[in-house]
Amino acid sequence: MTSFWRSHKRRENDLDDEIRAHLDMATRDRIARGESPENAARAARREFGDVVTVREVTGDMWSGQSFARIAQDVRWAVRSLRRAPGFTIVAILTLALGIGANTAIFSVVNGVLLEPLPFPQSHQLVYITSQFPTLGFDQFPVDAAEYLELRERNRSFQDVGAYVTSAVNIGAEGHPARVTSAIVTASLFPTLGVAPRLGRTFTPEEMLPNAAAVAVLSSELWQSAFAGDRGIIGRQIDVDGAKTTVVGIMPPGFDVHDQNVKIWLPLTLDPAQRQQFRGGHFLLLVGRLAPNLTLARAKAELQTLLAQWPAIDGNDPNAGPGAPGFVHTPNTTKHRLRYDDLQKDMVGSIGTALVVLQAAVALVLLIACANMANLLLMRAETRHKELAVRAALGAGRTRLMRQFVAESLVLSVTGAAAGLALAYWGLHALVAANAGSIPRAASVTLDAPVLVFTLVLAIGTGLLFSLAPLLHLSANSIGLALRDAGSRTTAGAARNRVRRGLVIAEMAFAVMLVVGAGLLLRSFWNLMRVDSGFDRAKLTTFGVVLPASTYRDSTRRVAFFNNLTSQLAAVPGVRSVAAMSGLPPLRQVNANDTGIEGFVPTPNGPAQNVDYYQYVTPNYVQTMGIPVVAGRAFGPSDGPLSTPVAMINQTMAKVFYGKSDPIGRRVQPGGSKTWFTIIGVLKDVKQGGVDSRTGTELYFDYEQTPASLGFAPRNMNVIIRSSLEPATIAGTVRRTVGALDPTLPIVQFRSMDEVFSDSVSRPRFLAQLLGIFAAVALALAAIGTYGVLAYSVAVRRRELGIRMALGSSQKGLLQLVLGQGMGLAALGLIAGLLGALAVTRLASSLLFGVKPADPLTFGGVALFMLLVAFLACLVPARRATHVDPLVALRAE
Amino acid sequence: MPLSRIELLQGTLDMIVLQSLRWGPRHGYGLVQMIRTNSRGVLQVDTGSLYPALHRLEREGSIDASWEVSENRQRVRVYRLTPFGRKRLAAERSRWEQLSDAIAGIFTPPLQEET
Repeated sequence: MTSFWRSHKRRENDLDDEIRAHLDMATRDRIARGESPENAARAARREFGDVVTVREVTGDMWSGQSFARIAQDVRWAVRSLRRAPGFTIVAILTLALGIGANTAIFSVVNGVLLEPLPFPQSHQLVYITSQFPTLGFDQFPVDAAEYLELRERNRSFQDVGAYVTSAVNIGAEGHPARVTSAIVTASLFPTLGVAPRLGRTFTPEEMLPNAAAVAVLSSELWQSAFAGDRGIIGRQIDVDGAKTTVVGIMPPGFDVHDQNVKIWLPLTLDPAQRQQFRGGHFLLLVGRLAPNLTLARAKAELQTLLAQWPAIDGNDPNAGPGAPGFVHTPNTTKHRLRYDDLQKDMVGSIGTALVVLQAAVALVLLIACANMANLLLMRAETRHKELAVRAALGAGRTRLMRQFVAESLVLSVTGAAAGLALAYWGLHALVAANAGSIPRAASVTLDAPVLVFTLVLAIGTGLLFSLAPLLHLSANSIGLALRDAGSRTTAGAARNRVRRGLVIAEMAFAVMLVVGAGLLLRSFWNLMRVDSGFDRAKLTTFGVVLPASTYRDSTRRVAFFNNLTSQLAAVPGVRSVAAMSGLPPLRQVNANDTGIEGFVPTPNGPAQNVDYYQYVTPNYVQTMGIPVVAGRAFGPSDGPLSTPVAMINQTMAKVFYGKSDPIGRRVQPGGSKTWFTIIGVLKDVKQGGVDSRTGTELYFDYEQTPASLGFAPRNMNVIIRSSLEPATIAGTVRRTVGALDPTLPIVQFRSMDEVFSDSVSRPRFLAQLLGIFAAVALALAAIGTYGVLAYSVAVRRRELGIRMALGSSQKGLLQLVLGQGMGLAALGLIAGLLGALAVTRLASSLLFGVKPADPLTFGGVALFMLLVAFLACLVPARRATHVDPLVALRAE
Repeated sequence: MPLSRIELLQGTLDMIVLQSLRWGPRHGYGLVQMIRTNSRGVLQVDTGSLYPALHRLEREGSIDASWEVSENRQRVRVYRLTPFGRKRLAAERSRWEQLSDAIAGIFTPPLQEET
């Protein structure tokens, strides 16, 4: 290649010399004939003609081999683009936008959906959960007894590990920090197939009761809290107030199910005590399939296991709470296990969203290509003469074709490079702004597959839009070119059809995108307007977790929160303070078995199970601003030792009591001997997500729990209703908590509005992104429509001039041009609406409170698009009315 | 007025170049002069057509080129006819004669058909 390049270079120099010799000789002859030296040189040059073109065309005669030919084409393209800087800048920006958006979204798709999980043979990993079809729970944790039984009896898995994530307070040299923890079985690490980078993981003995406390740290925590000190192995650290020995450090990035786990602790699980764990569903399982076994085969084996399960553990699967032998035994009808591909489960519902986004950016790119094709087509037409001269000088049609393609490729590759920079910047912004709503965000990078994607995209788009000017190279168009302006020939008519088709397509794609963005925006708007059941405004919340070791006595826990709430309530500007165990709106369902006094179960009726238990301090109802629908709220008369009382939500009243009055009726939490009397019904509060059904909810008085239930939750959320901004009271809160117990970290200090807004961050992120893409598409389509119409007015000046000379009014001309443009827009609009109708159905899972064929959105978009098209047509149409007949007729 | 350049394109020009080189090696400028003189000033060869034609003929092997120093001590690229070029010239020439006879036939048709 290099020797070839050298010979090519030499030939170019030779050609320069040859031309120079020619000019020298011609000049000398003229001087000999008596001309002055300057005149002679000038005349010789004039006689010779355009040196550059001659050199180029002559050099062409040699460019048989592809490499030199391509290099030459590229140089020619760069030169000719430099001569049209306006066109080139618009083209490169358009492409940078289109390709950049595609690159950014593809790197998310690649990182989240396509790249395998960072475990060896990750396709063998199966996520195992349970289901309660009659309770409506599709994916629920597994109890420890089931885990042990499954691990012993299955033949499908090499091993099965279990974990549950939580959070612990770490006493890391000075400040207390709260980090995500996972309590795991010793088998989890070998199941995932990852060895620690330092030390070891857990032994089965460390899972037995009374084993010494040990922990494995993530690399990230090891670095941030212990400065990567290798001597940490074997040392004790403070975990939730208990001295715990660090035995190992996991490699960087090691995690389970995208939970961002920082510290790993052993699960205490004595196989000898198996039966007492039954019914406590809190474990999530990961299994590794035996080599060469498919998930389908494992599922088939599971059916056999489920059928045998009741017989093996001897329990009646149909017993209700309180009945002897009432437990949830896995079986084939009411409670079963469920296997999912781990990666598919982790990615979950964002798959649809990403596919929608990728489709959206693909449409943007298609619109960009259509615009480019139009621009190039017009450019080719204005260069008609130049092309004809080149053809006459012997540049073959294939050569001209190659030069068009080279020009397109130079544009698309430059555009892609700019797009890559745009994507790099956009991706950072995107991931930073949506940290919580993109799973596997760490694997979203501009890596090799993404770069290959971008390159393929650049070449593909370049070839695609270079097709348009190639149409120009039909045999007769070049032959005619020298004498003809091109636009009045039949070839000109064909090109006009292409241009109109491109405008219609652009318009249609833009309509589809705007409809999609409109539907998502309406969904998001609906989500934000959902009645949360309480007054979100001016409410601040934060979490406090009392370590089990220092708050072993549950009355101490109650005392702590009593002190905290009353001290905070005394702060000026604070109206009311309370604490609650569960923070809406993203609570996990607890699904507590609950005895309902007097409730007669029916085969297809509700099971005696309550979705949410909520433990609240006395001021709860007043602080949250929840309307009391019937009866009364907890009050001063309900002391720690008085009759145990409870409140229920409207849904629970409807499900279990129907039309009868629940006040005065009694309920009994599963596993407890205490009956609680219902004293009030509260309006439904959205606990499990604003877009989900409201579950049944049962409220207990936190003060009463030590006496009535023998425990009190350690993990509470404090709520403060105050006219002050959250930032203003943050310092007071920190000081107050610190004065009560300096070891306690405060977590998730936010306004309740923020909590809710965070809970819909994914729909918001989707609506925002699609909104941006739709806006870009709209702008491109409007520019495209404008450009084509403006061009058509320019080439029809003569015709318009004649019409005007023959007596057409300005209004008539305006209508003529507007009608032409709006006709194209209307066709595009119809095609786009039909297209949108066909595809929005596929994305219906992303919508909330709006139908995929929502007439309001479709109608609104139609009107809006017509308005945009009208504005895009108006300028060229007005220009048509200002055509001066005399000037127009004389011009040609 | 000289003949239009377009009619000198390609095929015809190739033949003229090959024929001119039959009298001996010559550089590009010399060919322009020679064609003008021999056609008594009727044929003005455009350099934009001549050089591409020379290089095309060189590439297909009809002519050869080498750098020489002229009587004015100028370094010039001189072209000469190859045996292949000779054969090509013969073919071009017979085709040209057929064409020119045919055109002549059209302008001076046999008498019997006129009556």
